Amino acid sequence: MTEPAPAPTTPPVDPRLLEILVCPLTKAPLEYDRAAGELISREAGLAYPIRDGIPIMLPDEARKLD
Amino acid sequence: MKTHEAVVNAQFGAQANAYLASAVHASGEDLAAIAALAAARRPAAALDLGCGAGHVSFALAAHAASVTAYDLSAEMLGVVAGAAAERGLGNVTTRQGVAEALPFADASFDFVASRFSAHHWRDLRAGLREAARVLRPGGVAVFADTVAPPDALLDTALQAIELLRDPSHVRDYTRAEWEAALADAGLRVTHATARRLPLEFAAWVTRMRTPAVQVEAIRALQAAVAEEVRGHYAIAADGSFELDTLMLECASA
Repeated sequence: MTEPAPAPTTPPVDPRLLEILVCPLTKAPLEYDRAAGELISREAGLAYPIRDGIPIMLPDEARKLD
Repeated sequence: MKTHEAVVNAQFGAQANAYLASAVHASGEDLAAIAALAAARRPAAALDLGCGAGHVSFALAAHAASVTAYDLSAEMLGVVAGAAAERGLGNVTTRQGVAEALPFADASFDFVASRFSAHHWRDLRAGLREAARVLRPGGVAVFADTVAPPDALLDTALQAIELLRDPSHVRDYTRAEWEAALADAGLRVTHATARRLPLEFAAWVTRMRTPAVQVEAIRALQAAVAEEVRGHYAIAADGSFELDTLMLECASA
């Protein structure tokens, strides 16, 4: 018997619903990192978290990309 | 550092359910008018800007293919998502952020509504410019909020009472300020409706968890102001009063 996969920290979001989302700072499109549950803005160097299925589009709450 | 956004979150986060239950927010002629506008236009994509507990979103959900409920408060959005699910409104999605920097592409929506929100924004003009940016050409934007009378004395009394009740209050703008800010954003007012909103004092301060010292200050101020101020706001013996509201329907200029 295989081990069950670990539960994702945030439920996946319908990618179609993310299509109209852009970075609030640069207005550029975002990449959806499904595994991390984050929306990546390369230009701004920020990863916006998705919590409980709600994208948190606040730069102050975003993770800075290296 | 305590930002304005943090103060807003502190004020509204803990009270999200009170706003879902609030009769002032859950009903009203302005809410019905927004719903009627949406019913006439059947938007493909509607935005509820500063959705609070989601009453506009729920009203739009019956008439729009999709509704985006957008707010600064995560707790409010949690309440909206829960209530939408309970009501079987599968076309309502929630997004968190500030009005002044919307995370939506240009021309994403054909209907933008905002009710009782703009007086909390840090920057009205920036928020309205963003609303105009995400609105499709030919789309409709409708803003409903409490407003200040043009008279400076009445204006100052209103803002003082609002700030004592809610430290996240920014400003109830005058109609002239609204019209100038909308013009600056490139939005043309097509229809304006002024209304009066009666507020029951105890419910009004309880909903915001206003500390007793500030409730006392409001009552003292209400008693100390000139008769013409008490008259304009129809301040009653128990502190209940009436506010002026304005609903502005706009088209892209």
